[in-house]
Amino acid sequence: MSTTRPKAPSKLPATLGMLGMLALLILCAVMLERANWDRLPGVPGEVLGYLAKMAEGVASDPRAEPTGRGVAPGDTYGTWWWIAFDKMIDSIAMAWIGTVIGASLSFPLAFLAANNTAPGPLRFAIRGLFNGIRAIPDLVFAILVMLPIFGLTPTAGAMALGVNSIGTLGKLTLESIEAIDPGPMEAVRASGATWLQTMRVAVVPQMLPETMAFWLYRFEVNIRASAVLGVLGAGGIGKVLSDVIGHRLWERAGITLLVVIVVTVIVDQISASVRHRIIHGSSSSRRGRADEPEPLPVTVTA
Amino acid sequence: MSAPAPTRTARPRKPPPGPSAILGVVSIVGITIFAVTWINFSLAPLYTNLTGGWVVIREALQPDWGYLRWWCPADDAGCNPTNRIRLWKALLETFNIAVLASMAGCVLAMGMSLLASSVSAPKPVVRVVKVFLSAVRSLPDIAYALIFVAAMSPGPLPGVLALTIFNMGIVAKLTSESIDAVNPGPIEAADAAGATRWQRARTAIVPQVLPNYLSYSLYVFELNIRASAVIGFVGAGGIGTIINLEFNRGNYDRLSAIVIVIFVVVVALDLTSQTLRKRLV
Repeated sequence: MSTTRPKAPSKLPATLGMLGMLALLILCAVMLERANWDRLPGVPGEVLGYLAKMAEGVASDPRAEPTGRGVAPGDTYGTWWWIAFDKMIDSIAMAWIGTVIGASLSFPLAFLAANNTAPGPLRFAIRGLFNGIRAIPDLVFAILVMLPIFGLTPTAGAMALGVNSIGTLGKLTLESIEAIDPGPMEAVRASGATWLQTMRVAVVPQMLPETMAFWLYRFEVNIRASAVLGVLGAGGIGKVLSDVIGHRLWERAGITLLVVIVVTVIVDQISASVRHRIIHGSSSSRRGRADEPEPLPVTVTA
Repeated sequence: MSAPAPTRTARPRKPPPGPSAILGVVSIVGITIFAVTWINFSLAPLYTNLTGGWVVIREALQPDWGYLRWWCPADDAGCNPTNRIRLWKALLETFNIAVLASMAGCVLAMGMSLLASSVSAPKPVVRVVKVFLSAVRSLPDIAYALIFVAAMSPGPLPGVLALTIFNMGIVAKLTSESIDAVNPGPIEAADAAGATRWQRARTAIVPQVLPNYLSYSLYVFELNIRASAVIGFVGAGGIGTIINLEFNRGNYDRLSAIVIVIFVVVVALDLTSQTLRKRLV
């Protein structure tokens, strides 16, 4: 017996939520001073114009000598490609060293902070350290501590990234320690193992793959973060980007941005496939386990 | 039982490390050595230049709390009320930029993510959109800030636009992955009832990914508060403008007071957003 359609559930909460968001949006837009909202409609056209100039730079013959402002004598488009690539490698090296520092310091600390492995009340102090570091932007470590000590060098950038990575990596590592199966730990302890032996035999093998995947993910994050430190003066691609775009040399900016995009995408792809391999095993044993979800980055940087 | 206990033999030999473990260790060591030599990484300044750095650090360890006052003390005749309130205005601007950019970015991201998943869009479209999104994500937030500041004049609007694009890249990627993993049941039901592509997305896909999507949105909002400390450095508004100013003047005591304020704000917003996110998912 067909009856009338059931009544649709109330949409009131969703509507109220939407209205609240809209109110917040308008409030924030009104509060934003000296925003020059009238310039907004012109932005797409302007940006498209710059993109066209950037594309011209990319499409130019690398042996040709560019004309116009900001060209050092003897520079060709090829020189610009080369400088961008060279500085990008600087940034990647900075990010890698930062990740190595962060990983090697956060790894032992995480064992002293996890609920199931930490020997004592020490863990509250170390958790506090992780959370504290995570709340401070990496730029702050750079300008308050690393640049004064190491000067305007990539070393300062690598150190800032390294210290900053301790917070996130420490938190993620301790979470993966807490997620292990307690069985092996009990077994090893029952056979009279010391604390260090328990960690090595029962804990590390269980959490290492996941932790290594986090390290690689952090490396990808650090590559992007190193650009910021470059703008501050730590060298690398950030310095080139800020000089070139700041002086509105759009042809050169196009070349530099393209190098950044291509190199970053390639490194990301390599890193993602290594991460996948670490988590799921080699491609031959992947069958049957492939539907395990990869760790979402959202849990990684949060 | 009568079976004799197995006699205790020597410990079994430890299996040798596999080829991928060896390759992994060798490449980690190799890349590290390459990176260290490439940028001349050296910890030597830690003991040769500690005094030089220590001057700054000592100043930073004594924050100038007076700088945080938004009123003029009665006994200070030279105090300028507009200068006093500048820091707090910049902080408010940071919050406004973050709200506007996360909302705009997330709205764009919803559309993009529907185009970036083969559940909701045709294959060729998905391929193009995915390439576009990974290009967008490969640039750091500061690059967008530089571009928009150069294209418009410095101010908060370039900051909003830069973070909008940055947020769109992140949220679209995460949401499209959630769309890939939705339960196919409702989609089949919608198809069977003759839904158009748009109806199918609206009734069968979006409601399933909505909690995740909202949680990602809150996550980028948290990121934006931190990011605006950075983008202000290149003229894109927010608290970074003040940091840049005091950094160039070498007022490290003021900087550390600002840093403490940012720290408190970030922790407070993180805690709020984390409780919200826990309730969503």
